[in-house]
Amino acid sequence: MRIFPVEEIVSGECIGEPFIVDHRVSFFGEVDPVKGVIRGIEGSFRDKVLVIPGTRGSTVGSYIVYALREYGTAPKCIVSGDIEPILIIGCILANIPLLKVIDFNEFRGYIRSHGGCIVYRRELRGIVVGERCTDSYRGD
Amino acid sequence: MLNGEYGEAVQLAMRIIVKVGEALRAEKLVEVGHVHISGVSYSNIGDPGLKFIEKLASSNTSFRVFTTVNPTCIDLSGRTSIFSMEYIDGQLRINRALEKLGAYPTYTCIPYEIRRPSPNEHLAWGESNAVAMANSVYGARTNREGGPLTIAAALTGRTYYAGLHLMENRIARYWVRIGYELVDEADASILGLYIGEHLDDIPLIMGTGGWSTYMVKEFLASAAATGSHALVVLDPITPENTYTVADNPENITIDREEIRRFYNKYSSTPEIHDDTLVYIGCPHLSLSEFRYMVEVISRYKCVRRGVTFLFTIPYSLIDTTSKYMDLLRSKGVHVAYGTCPIVSRFRDKPGKVLTNSGKALFYLSRLHGLDVSLLGFRDIVERVMVK
Repeated sequence: MRIFPVEEIVSGECIGEPFIVDHRVSFFGEVDPVKGVIRGIEGSFRDKVLVIPGTRGSTVGSYIVYALREYGTAPKCIVSGDIEPILIIGCILANIPLLKVIDFNEFRGYIRSHGGCIVYRRELRGIVVGERCTDSYRGD
Repeated sequence: MLNGEYGEAVQLAMRIIVKVGEALRAEKLVEVGHVHISGVSYSNIGDPGLKFIEKLASSNTSFRVFTTVNPTCIDLSGRTSIFSMEYIDGQLRINRALEKLGAYPTYTCIPYEIRRPSPNEHLAWGESNAVAMANSVYGARTNREGGPLTIAAALTGRTYYAGLHLMENRIARYWVRIGYELVDEADASILGLYIGEHLDDIPLIMGTGGWSTYMVKEFLASAAATGSHALVVLDPITPENTYTVADNPENITIDREEIRRFYNKYSSTPEIHDDTLVYIGCPHLSLSEFRYMVEVISRYKCVRRGVTFLFTIPYSLIDTTSKYMDLLRSKGVHVAYGTCPIVSRFRDKPGKVLTNSGKALFYLSRLHGLDVSLLGFRDIVERVMVK
C-alpha cells in the first residue's frame, strides 16, 4: 500500500479499479461516449477510475464528458496529471470527481505494477493504492 | 449575478464560472471583450448538449458581450449534399437558442477573421485552433475554454482570472529551432502535430518570420489537436509584452529526418482511389485564402473522375462569395458554409481523404476511421484536377 498526494479539483468519492491511458486524451475525437471507450484502446472505463496524463485537442471535450453521465458510461472518477479547464467544466456538469495527482509518472508506474484498487482518502489528501477493491479499503 | 437578480440562466452561468475558477484558484473574475462559443454541433454534443443549451436559453436574458459561434453539422446554405441531413432538427434548435440569446450566426472556427483580438485583451474563447491563434498571433489572453463555459461567459460577460489571463503563466519554457525549411502548409501541419504531441509546455519557435499566415494557421491548429497548446510563441510574430521566456529554457532542435519519420507514422501514402475526398478548409478558409484558391482552381478544366473536392468556409461569407459559386460548380468543386467534416456526418463515407490540414487528419482518422493523407494545396490540385 502507498499513498500518493492529490489535489481535489472536483469533489466526491473515488474508488475503483484503474483504467490507464498512456497518452493525453481529446475527449471529443478519441472517446466514444455512448460505449464508454477510448478509441483504439480495449475495454470500457465505465465504473472504473480513469487515469490519464492530461487532456488535449478539442474544446468540445467538456460536452463529451458531460454526455458520459447522460449515457450512463461515466467512470467512477478521473485522476489526471495535468488539469485543463475543458476537463474541469465537463466533470462539474457530469458530477464526476476529478483529482490531480502530483507525481503522475510515479503514480502511473506504481499502479501499473501494483495495480488493483484506487481509493481517494480526503483526510489524507491522497490516493491509497491497494491490491484489490475489497471492503477493507472502502471504509473511512 | 450569483444571487439570481439577473435570472436563473445567469445565476447558473455564474455558478459554473465560479466553480471552475475555484478549482483553478482564481482570485477574481475578469471582463472579456469577445466570446467564441464551441461545441454547438448536434451530431457531436447530442441531446445532452442540446438540453444544456436550451436550459440556458429558456429564460428571458441575452448575451452581455460580442459572441460568435463555431460551425454546426449542417450546411445552412443547402449548396452541397456531402453531409447527412439526419441531424437538422436538433441542430436548428441549438442555432435558434444561441441566436435568441444574441449570438452572431457566424458558424465558423476562425472568429479572429470576424473581429481581430488586440494584444493583452481578455477573451473567453472555445475552439482549440482559434484559442491558439488568439494567444500566439494576436497576443490576446484566453484559456482553452470548454464549450459550456463559453456560453456561461457570454451570459455574464466574464470569466475566471486564471491560467493564460495572467502574465506569470505566459512563459515559454522550450526554445525550439527548426533545422530545415518548411515548404508549405502541409509541412507546417506536420510540424504542428509533432510539437503538440512531444512538448508539454509553452514553446518558443525561432525563425517563423518567413512562414505564410496560412502556414501559421495550419501549424497552430495541428499543435492544438495533438497537444493542449493554447500559446505557442512564434518569433517574431507573437506581439512583444504578451509573453516572457523562462530563465533557463530547454533547447530543442527538430530536424527533417525526425519529422519525416513522424510523418510516415501519421499520414498514409497519398494515392488517389475512386472514392477520394479532397478536403480544404480546416480551419475554415478566410476570404483571401478562398479567393486565392478559387483563382488556382480556375486554371484547370475540372476535378478528376472519382474525386470529390470540398472547401469549407464561414457561414458569414455566404454573400461575399456567392459570385464564385457558378465557376466552382462548373469545375465540379463543392463549397460548404458554416460546417465541416469534423463536426458533421458524411452522407457517404469516402474511402480516402487528402487534406492539407493536420487537424483534419487527426480528427477524421479518429472520429470516422478514415484513411487520411497530408499534402499541400498546390500538390493536391496538381494531382486531382484535369488541365
